[in-house]
Amino acid sequence: MNKEERYDIVIIGAGHNGTTTAAYLAKCGLSVCMLEERPECGGAQETCEPIAGVRIQPHAIANYGGSAPGWEQLELWKYGFRMDWKAGAIVPFDTDRYMTTSDGLSQVTDKDKMGYAKITGLLTDPPFFKDLMRATFWCPPHPPHVELNEHTIPFMQVYKQHQPDMWTRELLEWTMFDLMDEYLDTEPFKVNQAWIALVSGAHGHMEGAAIPALCSVATVMPPAVAMPVAPRGNIHGYYHALLRCAIAHGAVVRTCCPVEEIIIEHDRAVGVRLRDDATWGAKKIWANKAVISAVHIKPTFLEMIGPRHLDSGFLQRIKDLSLKGGSLYMTHYLTRERLRVRPKFQTPGYRYENYGSFTGPFFPNDSRELYFENVTEVMGHQRNLTIPPERAMYGMVAGETYAECHPQSTRPGVYINGPQWMLVPTPEYNVDGMDAMEDKVKWNEYMRKALSQVVENLDSDNIVQIIGESPREQEFRNTGMLGGSWYGLRCDRDQWWNERPLPELARYRVPGIDGLYLSHQSSAHPGGLCLMAVGYNLMHILIEDGIAEPGDWWYASPWYIPEKGKKSAIPSRPSSVATR
Amino acid sequence: MKKRELVGQPHPQCFFSEFPAESDWDAVVIGAGPNGLITAAYLARAGLKVAIVERRYEIGGGLATEEILYPGFYSNMHAIYHLMVDFMPAIKDFDMERHGLVWIKPNLQTAMVFEDGGSLLLTRMIEDTMDSFHKYSDKDAVAFGKLMRNWRRIVSEILAPATYIPAMAPIDLTVAMQRTEIGREMLELVEQSPLEIVNKNFENDRIRAFLLYISCMWGLDPRETGIGFYVPLLIDRGMNKCYLHGGSHKLAGALSREIVRAGGTILESSDVIKINRHNGSVTGVELMEGRTLNSDVVISSLDPHTTFFDLMDKKKLPTDLKESVERWKYDKWSFNTLHVVSKEAPHYACGDPWVDESFMTIFGFESTKQLLAHWDNVVAGKLDKNSLGGHATCESFLDSHLVRKPGNHISFFQIHAPYNLEGGWDKRGPEIKEAMLAKWEKAAPNMKRENIVMSTQETPKDIEIRFPNMRRGSIKHGDYTPIQMGCFRPNEACSNHNTPIKGLYLCGASTYPGGLVLGGPGYLAANRVAEDLGVKKWWKPTKEMEHYIKTYLT
Amino acid sequence: MPKEERYDFVIVGGGPNGVGTAAYLAKCGASVCVLEERPEAGGAVENTEPIPGVRITPHAMYMYAGPAPAFEQLELHKYGFRMDWSPQSKNLADQQLRGVATTYGLAPITDKDALGWAKISGMLTSPPFIKELLRSIFWCPPHPSEVEITAENIPYMQVYKKHQPDVWTEELLDMTMFDLMDEYLETEPIKVMHAMVAWYSGAAGHWEGVAIPALGCDITLTIYGGISVPRGGMHGYFHSIIRCAIAHGVVVRTCCPVDEIIIQDGRAVGVRLRETATTDEKRIWANKAVISDVDVKQTFTKLVGTQHLSSSFRRKVEDISLKGGSIWVSHLLTREKLRCRPKFRNPISGDDAGLGPYPCDSREIYYEHVADVDGRRGKPTMPPERLMWLSTPGDRFDAADSQCTIPGRYLASPYYTYVPPPEYTVGGPDALDKVKEEINAYLRKAFSQTIENLNDDTLVHHWANTPYESEFRNTGLIGGTWCGTRHCDDQWGENRPIPELSRYRTPIEGLYLCNQTACHPGGLALMAIPYNLMHILIEDGLAEPGKWWYPSPWYIPQQDKVSAVPRHGGDK
Repeated sequence: MNKEERYDIVIIGAGHNGTTTAAYLAKCGLSVCMLEERPECGGAQETCEPIAGVRIQPHAIANYGGSAPGWEQLELWKYGFRMDWKAGAIVPFDTDRYMTTSDGLSQVTDKDKMGYAKITGLLTDPPFFKDLMRATFWCPPHPPHVELNEHTIPFMQVYKQHQPDMWTRELLEWTMFDLMDEYLDTEPFKVNQAWIALVSGAHGHMEGAAIPALCSVATVMPPAVAMPVAPRGNIHGYYHALLRCAIAHGAVVRTCCPVEEIIIEHDRAVGVRLRDDATWGAKKIWANKAVISAVHIKPTFLEMIGPRHLDSGFLQRIKDLSLKGGSLYMTHYLTRERLRVRPKFQTPGYRYENYGSFTGPFFPNDSRELYFENVTEVMGHQRNLTIPPERAMYGMVAGETYAECHPQSTRPGVYINGPQWMLVPTPEYNVDGMDAMEDKVKWNEYMRKALSQVVENLDSDNIVQIIGESPREQEFRNTGMLGGSWYGLRCDRDQWWNERPLPELARYRVPGIDGLYLSHQSSAHPGGLCLMAVGYNLMHILIEDGIAEPGDWWYASPWYIPEKGKKSAIPSRPSSVATR
Repeated sequence: MKKRELVGQPHPQCFFSEFPAESDWDAVVIGAGPNGLITAAYLARAGLKVAIVERRYEIGGGLATEEILYPGFYSNMHAIYHLMVDFMPAIKDFDMERHGLVWIKPNLQTAMVFEDGGSLLLTRMIEDTMDSFHKYSDKDAVAFGKLMRNWRRIVSEILAPATYIPAMAPIDLTVAMQRTEIGREMLELVEQSPLEIVNKNFENDRIRAFLLYISCMWGLDPRETGIGFYVPLLIDRGMNKCYLHGGSHKLAGALSREIVRAGGTILESSDVIKINRHNGSVTGVELMEGRTLNSDVVISSLDPHTTFFDLMDKKKLPTDLKESVERWKYDKWSFNTLHVVSKEAPHYACGDPWVDESFMTIFGFESTKQLLAHWDNVVAGKLDKNSLGGHATCESFLDSHLVRKPGNHISFFQIHAPYNLEGGWDKRGPEIKEAMLAKWEKAAPNMKRENIVMSTQETPKDIEIRFPNMRRGSIKHGDYTPIQMGCFRPNEACSNHNTPIKGLYLCGASTYPGGLVLGGPGYLAANRVAEDLGVKKWWKPTKEMEHYIKTYLT
Repeated sequence: MPKEERYDFVIVGGGPNGVGTAAYLAKCGASVCVLEERPEAGGAVENTEPIPGVRITPHAMYMYAGPAPAFEQLELHKYGFRMDWSPQSKNLADQQLRGVATTYGLAPITDKDALGWAKISGMLTSPPFIKELLRSIFWCPPHPSEVEITAENIPYMQVYKKHQPDVWTEELLDMTMFDLMDEYLETEPIKVMHAMVAWYSGAAGHWEGVAIPALGCDITLTIYGGISVPRGGMHGYFHSIIRCAIAHGVVVRTCCPVDEIIIQDGRAVGVRLRETATTDEKRIWANKAVISDVDVKQTFTKLVGTQHLSSSFRRKVEDISLKGGSIWVSHLLTREKLRCRPKFRNPISGDDAGLGPYPCDSREIYYEHVADVDGRRGKPTMPPERLMWLSTPGDRFDAADSQCTIPGRYLASPYYTYVPPPEYTVGGPDALDKVKEEINAYLRKAFSQTIENLNDDTLVHHWANTPYESEFRNTGLIGGTWCGTRHCDDQWGENRPIPELSRYRTPIEGLYLCNQTACHPGGLALMAIPYNLMHILIEDGLAEPGKWWYPSPWYIPQQDKVSAVPRHGGDK
């Protein structure tokens, strides 16, 4: 190990996107080395067992990536990918469904359902749901020479083709609320969907983000108003399949290898230098074709590359990228008995022991005033939450979201419930500084009070332990989650699609530095949610640059537009013929 | 409403292609602990289509390096002292260096500190150990130097290679050992109890206590005869322990990569609920999630009860096999471990500052009498808060990667503890934890409240909950007693890793040669399966093994 | 002086091994540059004159190197090497008559002692094989790793088998020097005496597996010119080495501390000087190799830098044991010649304060000393009358080259005592220094056990050279350990200092080691490391010596390398 190593591709960071990229490139026959600073790979796709027999998900929980081409292209099933289809996970569309508000349950009407089905592409036969999802997430931003309008933006093309009556110029200006007001019925349902969007990246109240917001809800609950679906072994099990796909195709994984510097010679990224406390010291690892940064965009430019190679204007804009709106405080409750909802929230016909299988409540869903109150709280740079717990909106996944044959707690006599999560001010904006978030006892109690609005037996006799996770801890564990922000950067219109994170970086390339590409949720469209999307989209670019030459398993996004003067990522010969 | 229009509603299942409900394999390994992984890796590279099934969400079994205290702080919750790195065939055969595995073997391996500030050291270099013995007894120092010259040979020429060679019947072994002088010396040792060996060779009580702890800490009865050969083995290996940089789990990671590269498949979060059989021979396994893996070869790394009683129809077992499983004794004691994050590394109140660098530090015992009393207590299900003691390790001293926050440290303090504690762990756990903290602070005064940021305790019950095959917290899947060792582990019918049931093999710590990350059972099971299936072995015995075979088996 | 220089070899450190290596390589026709951080080359082989007319030798004092091939191969006599033959050396038998100093006076040495001793040291055969024995111990590079080390191929074992077959046994390899002596010698005191001399020379008498190396350290001293010294002291010997080097074109630059060994693509290509260097922070490039005569720990942790090393290698280097080599040296300037107490008077020369080791009553005392020094108790705790120390004959210098030229003043020197290496004393390095006076007084008490007139009236000055000072003066003597790193079985021969470094090569291509801490056979200014290293450099095709070269007869070439054995044998 004392000699230096050389690969075609060096990827910094073995989180979801780094690993997806590694799998794609290794499958193209390239030699790939993935460097991870932690002893374990997986980034935020992780599971831990803080107490013997009690398994929790500190970050990602549900599988948003349902529509990803990755399932077909990387054949993850071969590497052990499985889902937890617990009984009742699939809720027939015509089942009665309810939303929780402070004065009890509010039923979701047929108009709600039909409207929702329409905008998510379920009314046509065959449905275009999957096309819609892919158009929104699984297509690289268009090159600069393409004008962006209702004819070119992928999801607009999809509506135009399948649901023409929805296709209007305004749709591009709308917020998700505007969209829902047009097609849905009851307020609580709208508020609920808007809030899920809020915690999934694109907020329900952001102009121009109506469809991205809608899709970031719809993709987690395919095909409709059901519940999140979890992979077996949780989201970390999904990661295992991804990692093993990369390894099976020859990717080399090195843990305990913090990268200190991206080596740039003659305006070209040629390799990386490890920090000197790495297992083999500060050796250099060289990249013949490309260095791909799958770490957060801020450290990538501010620390690993540094001002020597970048002008101050550019660095300032990197500093200014907004992390807001993605910091969640999470709690898991270890209890002696199962949680019981208060009578007024008991869903008619719901069997008690099935109670735990509910998702949510996303509570309270009363009205958008309440939604905005919560948003102001979090985005308005106030110190800590001042809103009374009974008005605070939160989401909750009961431990029993997972199949009975795969319980979250195997510890006799205790149940694990959660996570319950709540949007909180991003630590970097928190007046008391990061440590304000460290006041966990206070926060845990706040969360408990909030949940107690719906649950009747969340008291000291029942609670064995509250396991809280502050954004600060999340950042501490995953340096990639700066400010504890789950999807890296807020997905508002100015940091979305061809503006994510900055227009000149939108196509994953770095102007002025050849051979360097970005593959982190904070630096690449479409951001987080473990979609295998960044890797797939980046493939188009790497093919354009002649770095990757996929076999006939590859297909490009139907909405993808090649860059002028570059090779097209669309297979030239019919895909039946192998390109290599 | 027009629900009809929704006929085309896609079922979410159609989004994912998943691992099939039924699949065919050349071999299925149950349990992805070190041994399961080793077996699977050897067989996969030999060209077999291998699946390995793990109940937990993460592979590795006892090779676990996880954030149990706080984000960014990794603890080796289970295996940390790798005793056989110098001899383990898997490390050479799979060229672990290629996977970036780096083992650290500190010179100062084990220290024992006493209340008066005195200390004893066990070091990689005999001379450094002798130096510390000289402080108490010149005679013992000289005796140690002399003994270790021979014991080193007994270990490197006999005990270590034999770990990776099928068990022999006692009588054959005795005959074979007659061939050499060290062989005969080894046989003499077998007949003595650890206590006898230590008392016979050493005069100073502290030195006796020190060596006795090292000899018996992994679960030998100090007064039992017939296991004396463990004394040279555990003392010599106690001088050659290694730490895997980045944490023990890295070994599991490297083995899993070997499996995957060779086309094998790993399924975590899968409980095996049944080993399928068809007229007498195995046909595969059934998973709780409803999937079936078909295979004529099933290799179980689980404990005897789980393999034979829980996963198979007890009634259909051969009587003697059934009885041997019923007779099986689990470890005489388990461990209670206190993991802490502290602002400073432990600084022991001790004349010799070098002690702070020790890989393992023993404290709490002033005499053999007190040590034996502690063990007798434990075996009787008791813990005396006032006279408990054990060993501690500061992991981050060797490996900065285990702590995200520079300057902070992660350590653990581990004591021998009964599975069935008088009064129950739930009730007495907290008070034991307090007692351990107090004891630690007494030995290392800076381990006081202000210095400790986080702490958590893993009781024997917790071990069993995390790793259900460590029944009763048995880290070795079964006690080390003469009738459970060698060709009697787990019983005469199964100690060569095949079983009376056609197609069923064993590769766990409950089979010869036993637990403690030796990698022995896994390696031997792989050999056995390869031989039975007539698969060409791509690996060769290590040169130590060849020397052993040449000297004793041909 | 050009901004950058380029040579075939750059040698970091101008101690005897560095300069000796330079001499060998230059004689092969290579261009060599030696960089020394101090104003004077010579390392621990040096003289000082703290006050006019008094010359003291803070470190190396004895001529252990007698059997070195270098005397023939480098022809040191041409460059002014001369010995001062002490009157004592005229008759070796004196030693037996003198007896061994114990608390109860001089213990006799029996004929059995003398004969047994002569036998194991190879002096009973005719011709004696002592020189061959010593060369086999010190002047032969460790065998390559692919060779299994056995009683058959260890050089000194081969020598015994050939010349003294009855001494050769498998067990010999496991023995301590005590075991060996218990077998061939008779009286305890002489055993203790030899064991102690061995210990003070590197390989202790109580370590398993190094019986013969310990014996070797002992006999090179007690029999080979230990009592006589080169003219001008050991530094005179060094002069002849460095002049040989210079005569063959070696460039020696003093005041040139090296900051970094420059490593490119895993290969050592040169060095960077510290900005304080006379020639400023310039780079000096090495076409063929960089050779470090700096101690092994600093070589890797400072000059190479941990960033080029794996964590396990780093750990192994940190763990190399320095124990047992830190000596507290006393030089006593007195008004009158020191006199032994009657019971210690030398039956031959009558009056003599140079007694060799004291007290040699029994090995218990020896072990107490071991526990004290290596057991890490901090400063010595033994009562002065039991403290072990070693003095050297006052008259080992020819009167014409006296150490003290002040009329009416006498220098008794040096007196040696082992103390714990500073790195292990609780107070850190200077802790020992703080208690200097106290320890000096304590030592004088110890010396007074045998000397009757060592008191405030007679004493003019007591110079002490503490381990800390040794380290301070010679950065290469870390922990003030003279023999570099202890010569125990795990750090000797194929294990010195750790197996992966035993053949002077390092994990870094083009970087070789030639410091006593890093190389077999360690210290004692033997000219052995340069000679042994030559074999390796020839193997790697870096050196091509002329006819003058001959390899060690026991040397085994490494697989697929050039053999160091000349095709048409040397002209020895």
